[in-house]
Amino acid sequence: MTGVSLAGVGVITGWGRGVDAWPDDARRVAGDRAVVTAATPPLDGERFRRATRECLLGVAAVQATLDDAGISREAIAGTHTALLYVTAAAYGSSNRAFIAAGEPGSAGALHFPYTAPSAVPAEVTIEYGLRGTYVTLIGGATVTLEALAWAGRLLAEGACERALVLAVETFAECADLFARDRRLLSRPLTEAAACALLVLGARPIEIRAGDHVSDMTARVDRRVGETLACGPLLGLALARASGDDPWTVTGRWRGRTAALAEA
Amino acid sequence: MRPEPVAIVAAGVVTPIGGDLDAFWTGLLTGASGISTIERFPVGDLRVQRGGEIKKLPSGGESARRCRASRLLCAAADDLRARAPLAATRARIGVVVGTALGGVEALEDAVGGERSLRAAAAGLYDSPAHTLAGHLGARGPVLTVSTACASGASALGLAADLLRADRADLIVAGGYDGLCRFVMRGFDALRSLTRERIRPFDRRRSGLLLGEGAALVLMARDADVAGPRLGRLLGHASTSDATHVAAPDPSGRGLQHAIELALAQAGLDADAVEFVSAHGTGTPLNDRIETAVLKRVLGRRAAGVPVNSIKAGMGHTMGAAATLEAIMCLLAARHGAIPHTLGFESGDAECDLDYVPLRPRSARPRVSLSTSLGFGGCNAALVLEGVVA
Repeated sequence: MTGVSLAGVGVITGWGRGVDAWPDDARRVAGDRAVVTAATPPLDGERFRRATRECLLGVAAVQATLDDAGISREAIAGTHTALLYVTAAAYGSSNRAFIAAGEPGSAGALHFPYTAPSAVPAEVTIEYGLRGTYVTLIGGATVTLEALAWAGRLLAEGACERALVLAVETFAECADLFARDRRLLSRPLTEAAACALLVLGARPIEIRAGDHVSDMTARVDRRVGETLACGPLLGLALARASGDDPWTVTGRWRGRTAALAEA
Repeated sequence: MRPEPVAIVAAGVVTPIGGDLDAFWTGLLTGASGISTIERFPVGDLRVQRGGEIKKLPSGGESARRCRASRLLCAAADDLRARAPLAATRARIGVVVGTALGGVEALEDAVGGERSLRAAAAGLYDSPAHTLAGHLGARGPVLTVSTACASGASALGLAADLLRADRADLIVAGGYDGLCRFVMRGFDALRSLTRERIRPFDRRRSGLLLGEGAALVLMARDADVAGPRLGRLLGHASTSDATHVAAPDPSGRGLQHAIELALAQAGLDADAVEFVSAHGTGTPLNDRIETAVLKRVLGRRAAGVPVNSIKAGMGHTMGAAATLEAIMCLLAARHGAIPHTLGFESGDAECDLDYVPLRPRSARPRVSLSTSLGFGGCNAALVLEGVVA
């Protein structure tokens, strides 16, 4: 059976860049903050003039992944790199701004395309010249696990040579809406952008329905907070940093639990 | 190795030209128009106030508590279930739906003062998919795809992949979107909406109108289907332009790549394509790009392959569009008729293919190609095989 290999993981959270920036106990360090906001990446240039904060976080997470993998941006350009993007909440910020802008004419035509969830991966594809398989999935951690499993299948089928699975979650602009859901208040909502680069490798990965949270996922939750779709990718980053081998990451979303494990 | 084909067992829809599959098909053949002045929300301050609004949806009982997007999905699901049972254990039934807008109208309500948790939760893009899963009793994977107006095609592709990976035995897949002020404002600001009628590929084409609807198909591994089927999904692909957030790549390179990948997955070359269901929005740029791409892909056969667009009668139904078009391809094979391109009378130098003008075409296309494009540089292609009696 054809397997995959994790070539790189890039992580940006409200705590900073990389795994080392995470506290031991997010809830304690967050104090009374409901949202731990991620700094807007300082991406300059005319092309990013209209890009939203979530777009910039997505681009920065991909760059962090390339840095971790030690490969150039030219290496991923073209039709042989797939991009699977996942988010549960990031588009909400842009949508809310568009709704709040109110009347016709007060929200510019150029804002509207950025309300589409596909705006985030679009900016990534433009920045890195990615023209391969390209899909946006909406949902939390279980959906990211599905995206990782799908990436593995795309690699195994030869549909791509590399697959980027990217997730971005921003909360600050819609914090009052999230605050209505008590289930999300047990730990801070921590903004994050995370990306994994998968290539063909020796170990198959398998997704299955699950009923418990893995130790890895529990550690991420405790150290980072609630990051919705980013959670499994943060788990991969922690596994990579910790040398955990083989790894298992789990996720929960809307009453469903799933696990993705390396054989 | 060519992937296993996936059966499309049955379909269910709700559209501006018909509230179920039979009415939808009749509406396509008779050239029915579902375009009207929008009544459900204020549009008086917009440049364009028309669209493909569905005037009547089930509203009693459970429906009353659902957002419009969920009501559309559940109406299509009821039509589907009336045509085919979901004969699998609940844990093995999945849901994969595409949408450009998700529950954004609920978000409008939540931002506008509706203080309930329900309003905030329904504003998430994947809420309608989970409502649908609950409505169907499906306990398998529930996924929402959002590749803008190509979502309904990407969803069918992902569903096929999940079936091949044995993640489910049955998947209810498709697309939906409801008309709301949010999207009308957006397209109004972009000035993409026409004040005239929609004329896909016509020399007088001047833009699109939006519509709403939902379209669902029941999919299963082909080898598992013992009874009749509507057709098969042979190949699919979703690719990126990597050129612009809102506008399609003028070269059409990404769309061409998607078509080529989908044909390769189907194990077919372009000579096998007997009919093309185009995205065909009626905007000057889209229709020109699609025509150029089809000429490159189909080569010398291009002028002889019928190409239609069904958006003029319903408006652009966004997340539902590609699934509706895929269903139309399969119904064309079943019934021996290709619906005409309503609104098309004569092309121009850049739109010079056979767009099936004026009346339905008597033909029974076995292999169809369906193309879709969306914001974010999304392209999708489906290769479908109809069941020819």
